[in-house]
Amino acid sequence: MVNLDKLRETVKEMLTREDVKYVVGYEKGTYGFRVSPSFAFIPEDVDKFIFSPLCVNNLTIYPMLEEKLPLPKDEKEDARKIGIVVKGCDSKAAVQIIQEKGMKREHVVLIGVPCTGVVNPRKIKARFSHQGKNVDVEEKNGKFVFVIDGAIHAIPKEELIFDKCKHCENPTPVLYDVLLGDEIHSTEKEDYEEVKAFEERSFGEKWDYWKKQFERCIRCYACRNVCPMCYCKKCMVDQLSPQWVRRSTNLSENAAWNIMRAYHLAGRCIGCGECERVCPMGIPLTELNKKLQKDVKQIFSYTAGLSLDKKPLLAIFSPEDPKEFIL
Amino acid sequence: MNVNPYQPLLATIDEIRLEVAGERPIKTLKLVLQEEDLRKRFSYLPGQCVMVSLFGAGECFFAISSSPTQKGYIEVSVMKLGKVTSALHECEPGDVIGVRGPYGNSFDVDAWQGKNMVFIGGGIGQAPLRSLINYIVENRKKYGKIDVVYGARTSEDLCFKKELSELEKRDDLGVHLSIDVEEEGWKKFVGFVPDNLLQVKPSPKNTIAVTCGPPIMIKFVIQNLLKLGFTEEQIFTTLEMRMKCGIGKCGRCNIGNLFVCKDGPVFSYKQLKNIQGEM
Amino acid sequence: MTTMEKLVLPKLGIRKLIIGMLAEHRFFGPVDDDGATLFKQIKDPAELDLTFTNSTVPPKALLFKQTETLFKFSLGRSVKIDPVDITNERTIIFGIRPCDAKSLAILDQVFKGDYEDPFYLTRRKNTVLIGLSCTQPGVNCFCTSFKDGPASSENVDVLLTDIGEKYYVEVRSDKGKHLIASMKELLRSAKAEDENNVTYVEEKAIAAITRNMNIEGMVNKLDKMFENSLWKTIAMKCLGCGVCTYLCPTCNCFDIQDETALEKGARVRVWDSCMYPEYTLQASGHNPRPERVNRIRNRVYHKFNYCPKNYGVTACVGCGRCIDNCPVNIDIIDVINKAGEAKV
Repeated sequence: MVNLDKLRETVKEMLTREDVKYVVGYEKGTYGFRVSPSFAFIPEDVDKFIFSPLCVNNLTIYPMLEEKLPLPKDEKEDARKIGIVVKGCDSKAAVQIIQEKGMKREHVVLIGVPCTGVVNPRKIKARFSHQGKNVDVEEKNGKFVFVIDGAIHAIPKEELIFDKCKHCENPTPVLYDVLLGDEIHSTEKEDYEEVKAFEERSFGEKWDYWKKQFERCIRCYACRNVCPMCYCKKCMVDQLSPQWVRRSTNLSENAAWNIMRAYHLAGRCIGCGECERVCPMGIPLTELNKKLQKDVKQIFSYTAGLSLDKKPLLAIFSPEDPKEFIL
Repeated sequence: MNVNPYQPLLATIDEIRLEVAGERPIKTLKLVLQEEDLRKRFSYLPGQCVMVSLFGAGECFFAISSSPTQKGYIEVSVMKLGKVTSALHECEPGDVIGVRGPYGNSFDVDAWQGKNMVFIGGGIGQAPLRSLINYIVENRKKYGKIDVVYGARTSEDLCFKKELSELEKRDDLGVHLSIDVEEEGWKKFVGFVPDNLLQVKPSPKNTIAVTCGPPIMIKFVIQNLLKLGFTEEQIFTTLEMRMKCGIGKCGRCNIGNLFVCKDGPVFSYKQLKNIQGEM
Repeated sequence: MTTMEKLVLPKLGIRKLIIGMLAEHRFFGPVDDDGATLFKQIKDPAELDLTFTNSTVPPKALLFKQTETLFKFSLGRSVKIDPVDITNERTIIFGIRPCDAKSLAILDQVFKGDYEDPFYLTRRKNTVLIGLSCTQPGVNCFCTSFKDGPASSENVDVLLTDIGEKYYVEVRSDKGKHLIASMKELLRSAKAEDENNVTYVEEKAIAAITRNMNIEGMVNKLDKMFENSLWKTIAMKCLGCGVCTYLCPTCNCFDIQDETALEKGARVRVWDSCMYPEYTLQASGHNPRPERVNRIRNRVYHKFNYCPKNYGVTACVGCGRCIDNCPVNIDIIDVINKAGEAKV
């Protein structure tokens, strides 16, 4: 995996740069298999930094969470760079945001970490539901290895990783300023098998499936807030004049919310799966986003978050577009 | 227990007066409760507020700007700012809206009897003060010296122009108006309200100061009152917050552990100084 | 409330007991819903999953509904208000954990007062709480930090404790007594042996709670650290998502909005979260809590400083849901313990 000493050394050096405000990485969480985002302002802060198969968070959310408030007259904005530790999928979010001009390339310093898959917290919690003490997980020979109360557990990776990791096409970050480790090349291809299987179902079956899911939604907006691509200054659901989506939690409004968000992500979602991870109700949101991802690939031959040179898909018009008119 | 405190009473808009025209117009709405029995029983003190409903748009918390000495109706002064206030500005006399209240605490008009009063208002902040000023003027003998210090950005932005000119004619109180910037024909004070206050230089002896206006104005007015020798217990203000329930349940209007709708909106400076909270 | 009756129910009798209750009540209990446990209305005891640790959404949702119509109205030539019928149906919440039952006692304080909330209070009055002691507390449970316990019967009408072959049944109120009365033939008096078993189960559960929040003196400590840098540190991580507030059993903030369709409409109350910036945003554009640091600090203070000052009780019951579900591992036990250690 990643050499921890190298990681910490790299970040510490980065902090000595005058143009870097802070670096966000990962540190051990407060219990069990949790890992927490970690902010390093001074070299001492970096000693907490880790990288392991438990590092699930997409940290590219943080430049988008910077709050820009009115400053006193003589104070100037601290526009220094932010360092971010990014896995393959995370880096795609950075690319996509930069493509859309959501942030400037120069604003972030990306510390790329080649990743071979991270643990789905739901899956490990299902097996170790009452694990209180912190556990360190390592990857060895295709297994996740960890020790609990002296007993060694070695579980095959496929049983614990996210579905997104199983078909990961970009284990090496696609954009980085420094890469910690050797590039990993993947022969995996996202074939959208599950999406295709779902498409075969009848309309009634499909609607019943999603009806059941949308009825469970509690509109906490965790999916929106964790998503690096959801950075609208005023989200559509927070608009009052006019009000597009009511706050009532019923099938109609919940379906509107979830489907509209999926559409706002069409051509932009890079499939990090954070939305599904954080949903307290366990709604399979990645299935929605994947469907649109597949359609976008099929219709426009476009995949989000791969190249800085590409233009955002639905924000431009090209003479080669399949339809004659923008709409 | 079957009383629904969220359900308003129906009221008709009897009269609409345009106080200030322009980009942020202010209108005073005269509201008459439909049920005569309730109309008679509705009683309040200056400083208290009501939740006014525009069915379909929502509700807003307004200080009642008319004095309780005026029976049978209440007035609220509304600045057009957001969804509900814009809808209220579209209303016409005869339209039916909802009213519930009165909510909140009030100015302590009983404890202040015998005291000198100085009112410092800015812009639409004059609305709650108007209720208090008119109440005190109607009970003139019970109070000492009265000074009304009021200002707005321009002469057009001054609220209650007609009433103020009536007050100016009286010789048993002082009215000190101001506008922020020079204007042709304006012979009175030019400058910000806190500066006008220093000019008026009210004596703190046996005096109560009540102020209301934009947060920045309140801040400097209080500063200047302290400079003039007023103590923390002599200074009062009335605050506003985004409100939804108006009865201390929805949680949002808190400053520290106090709710503006329930423990306020009237606060003494002494109280505010000691709360740790965001305003 | 003191314990009125101590009875036992053979495990096999639970089905009959529930069926008896189903006959006369709307019955809510823990149901497995696609991996998340929720309190749902059931028609058959087989639907229940009593092996749960705790529900994802707390049972406050059954009394303080996420979406509630306050009244309806019709517009047009003249406005008319149509009041809503506040249901008087007899309800049972079965399997509520002691922490969640305590949260209802805390919510009572908010919804009572000078203006009583008929929606919450009517349901509360008509609901019987049948608690279920925790035999296997969750990883982030810390009810013991509030001098409470996994087998506390303080805030329920009846408490069931699983003691192996039987349930120990503790009746704590008239409501509970009345409910059990019609099913007396299923129960018998508890013996000393049963009481010993309950003590054993309770002690085992308490021992399984490993996390502790140092709440001692926290109100005064927080008074001294309003400007402390701790809040900024936490706020940097926070996404402002609202999961903690929606899953918290004592959180009760709400929004009120009008929903209209041409000439008809309704005023609706919905859950809201103090973590959203719009929560306190004024029409003028001024926001008293413009930054996440303000909102996070306000939330912590509300639970551990303002509520104790206003209602004499800490508005946290140690259920651990916010810790389990926070996407970025903001851990309230850690936060309060750090606040306790902070230098002022």
